[in-house]
Amino acid sequence: MGSDTAEIADLIARCALRDRGAFRDLYGRTSAKLYGVTLRILKDRSEAEEALQEVYVKIWQRADRYVPGGFSPISWLVAVARNHSLDVLRARKPRSDDIDLALDVADAGPNPEQAAVDSGERSRIDNCLGQLDGEKADAVRGAYLDGFSYEELAARHKVPLNTMRTWLRRSLMKLRECLSA
Amino acid sequence: MSEDGDISGMDEDSVRVAEYALGLLTPDEHTAMGTRLRTDRLLRTELGFWRSRLAGLDTQFAETPAPAGVWPRLERRLFADTARGGWWNSLALWRGLSAAAAAVAVIAIGVNIATPRPDPNAFAAQLVAALSAQGSNVQVVALYNAQTGQVRLTTISGEAVPDKDYELWAIEGANAPKSMGVIPINQRVDVPVKSDVLAGFGPGVTLAITLEPKGGSPTGGPTGPVVAAGKATPI
Repeated sequence: MGSDTAEIADLIARCALRDRGAFRDLYGRTSAKLYGVTLRILKDRSEAEEALQEVYVKIWQRADRYVPGGFSPISWLVAVARNHSLDVLRARKPRSDDIDLALDVADAGPNPEQAAVDSGERSRIDNCLGQLDGEKADAVRGAYLDGFSYEELAARHKVPLNTMRTWLRRSLMKLRECLSA
Repeated sequence: MSEDGDISGMDEDSVRVAEYALGLLTPDEHTAMGTRLRTDRLLRTELGFWRSRLAGLDTQFAETPAPAGVWPRLERRLFADTARGGWWNSLALWRGLSAAAAAVAVIAIGVNIATPRPDPNAFAAQLVAALSAQGSNVQVVALYNAQTGQVRLTTISGEAVPDKDYELWAIEGANAPKSMGVIPINQRVDVPVKSDVLAGFGPGVTLAITLEPKGGSPTGGPTGPVVAAGKATPI
């Protein structure tokens, strides 16, 4: 996993230098993951396929924004795919600002922990979500993994919109505390 | 929101940022938060916190082989259509990127915008470079057209400086920089590539812009600060 991460970071860096072979390798190694992202959020094969293409166009064009040692490279790729899918989902014109910010995160603050996003981060978020009520943890997962809006979350959990909003905001505060520990 | 009366201050901001990261804000709220993030370093750190922590959930996106048609379409779109405006699309991209970059200039060599060229090999000779320099707001895009033998410079940002001129240089390897002349900074301009410079033009050549005394460097070599520089690479 560690060397995998380093290799993907290297491929992204070479894409920034306009290395087409590196881009092909990067696509080969990561497209199944990113298709998994666009498909889960968009829940429509042809939309997800179209989105996947746009995502890789962005990756090719903006590979120079990835800063090695910051965000884990695969998390960075997933963030590009996820943000693009959310844009499509909400039927808005692509928020280029949002993508820019996503790409800026790596140098947003000197947070050495960000480098270790892999297994440690996974167990940490799982552990902290486990400390929330099951339904509330599901709502957070639904927002992140499925791109559900407050309206959709309220409908799925059969609670009024304001209740869902309050639930989730309080859950995020608890999560913040647990994730910082 | 009255139910949120117990959330205040930095907690409120943190929750807001988390909602932004999750994509839960309305379009207006999202835009407003984007604006705040741009100028507030603490908030950006908070966003980094949430994104890195939430990324722990990324393993739950199940890998699904991408449909076979995506890669060929990507290749056609990114690598075969370049002549037909792909480059200018990426100009908009560079504009977007420029907010973060102190200075960016881009050089492409061998671009023929007017004529579509279906042979992908024809683009092997095409070059691009991102030029930047800390502490400078000069951002220029430069395109070299082999057919006209000219470099077209387009200023994205930067102002003229009283009693000073900007000068463009080509640097090949360890050789001394060769002047390509004084350039205006607020208008699009075509700079002819003279024969002594042309010999060194190709992948790896560095273009640099310096700030020089009025009329250009008095010595024939750069004397002022570099406001933008970078190396051309094949695309």
